[in-house]
Amino acid sequence: MPTPLEFDDVVLPNASGTVCHFTVPPHQVVVISGPEDSGVGQLGRVALGLERPRRGRVLLLGEDISALPRAAALAFRRRVGYLPAGDGLLQNLSLHDNVALPLRFGTGLAERDIEGRIRIILTMLHLSDVGLARPAQVNEEQRRRAALARAVAFDPELVILEQPFDGLTDRVAAELLEVARGGVSAGGSRRTVFITGHDVPHLLRQRVDLRYRVVGAKLVREA
Amino acid sequence: MRAPIAIAGREVTRRVSTLGALARFFWDALGSFATLPQAGRRVAQRVFLNQIWFTALQAVPLVIVLSGLLSFLVISQAVRELGRLGATELLGTLMVVAIVRELGPLLTALAVAGRSGTAIAAELATNKVMGEVDALEGMGIDPLHYLVLPRLGAAVVSVFCLIVLFDAVAIVAGLTAAAANGMSPDRYFDIVLRSLAFGDAAVSIVKSVAFGVIIGTLPSFHGLRVRRAATEVPIAASRSVVGSIVAIFLSSALFVAVL
Repeated sequence: MPTPLEFDDVVLPNASGTVCHFTVPPHQVVVISGPEDSGVGQLGRVALGLERPRRGRVLLLGEDISALPRAAALAFRRRVGYLPAGDGLLQNLSLHDNVALPLRFGTGLAERDIEGRIRIILTMLHLSDVGLARPAQVNEEQRRRAALARAVAFDPELVILEQPFDGLTDRVAAELLEVARGGVSAGGSRRTVFITGHDVPHLLRQRVDLRYRVVGAKLVREA
Repeated sequence: MRAPIAIAGREVTRRVSTLGALARFFWDALGSFATLPQAGRRVAQRVFLNQIWFTALQAVPLVIVLSGLLSFLVISQAVRELGRLGATELLGTLMVVAIVRELGPLLTALAVAGRSGTAIAAELATNKVMGEVDALEGMGIDPLHYLVLPRLGAAVVSVFCLIVLFDAVAIVAGLTAAAANGMSPDRYFDIVLRSLAFGDAAVSIVKSVAFGVIIGTLPSFHGLRVRRAATEVPIAASRSVVGSIVAIFLSSALFVAVL
């Protein structure tokens, strides 16, 4: 199994040019936190090849996604769950259709199978009652739950979460992290989870396998 | 002396570069059809049908009113004035050349550009500002597949259907106007149908495709060009409608010169 995510001497395209050299091992939960101007907010985008680093190489599931042609890069991204900062839900779709979108677009599943899977995910994330509501009609916690549901809908092996816990209580954050992990396996969590954000809720620190923090323009591993 | 020339040069360069980016955007949007994944076709189809509902079906009352009123006014005046000169035969030419060939496609395209073009630009600009376009890319969904291609296709189909509707309503409203001014329906249809040739319908079809492409492309281009500020949304909508109107008039003039 290839390493899910590897930043090889990557210089982020932020003002201070933060240097990142780290690996996200399989079945582990890795968190990188730091202040707003530290470039932490760009890590997920750089990992997915949505933004180019100034220097260095990013390997996503063993592949240098920035070297792939556009169509291949798009197809490759469908193997990774992604929760962007600010949820990124499509405002003109219901929460149900938002969750269904990657399944309908990226898998050859029949509509009946997709419906069955969405029903399970929405129930798991306590969204069954608001499935038909649009993002603007529900609260921030429900939007975040829907965005996570969309990220894990096709059961990816790697999930990238940008600021997933901002504004949530520790209890809800812990619950969402468990959903992102997808249960446990012999090597740790079933899925590999990479989280970026300004800070990690205190309650979650014990559930994280590796923590890094951006200090100055460098990445420092926390105990 | 150099400063104004430099400013004019910069402006020309900026506009030419925008035109180049627009042409590339259109080309990419067309080319994206070939890379649309099989599973994504169902999703794109849904968006396409939604757009047809909004752009074509919801615009039907507006087109009927525009076409009916225009035709009624023009034909009423024409029957009276041409009758006085003993040249009612020219009514058919007037109906076909002025309304079916020129004003029908032009007014329909302007109505759709004002109504749906602004909506497309504002919607896509909001998608961009809210981070939805980035989220789509992050999920491996090409915004050209999900947002642009269905809107482009729907704009072409909608403008074509609305132009056909405009022409049909214009002919019927013209009949009412002619009858109200003492002309028999048989004579009216005889004059109009005699003037209507296959070439006129062909010109209308070519124009509808060209106007549809303009209305599908320009607003999408301006909508997706915004960066992160919400204040750019109305600017994109305004640019798209102004650009579409100019492009529609320019291509209309080109058609008159060429066809």
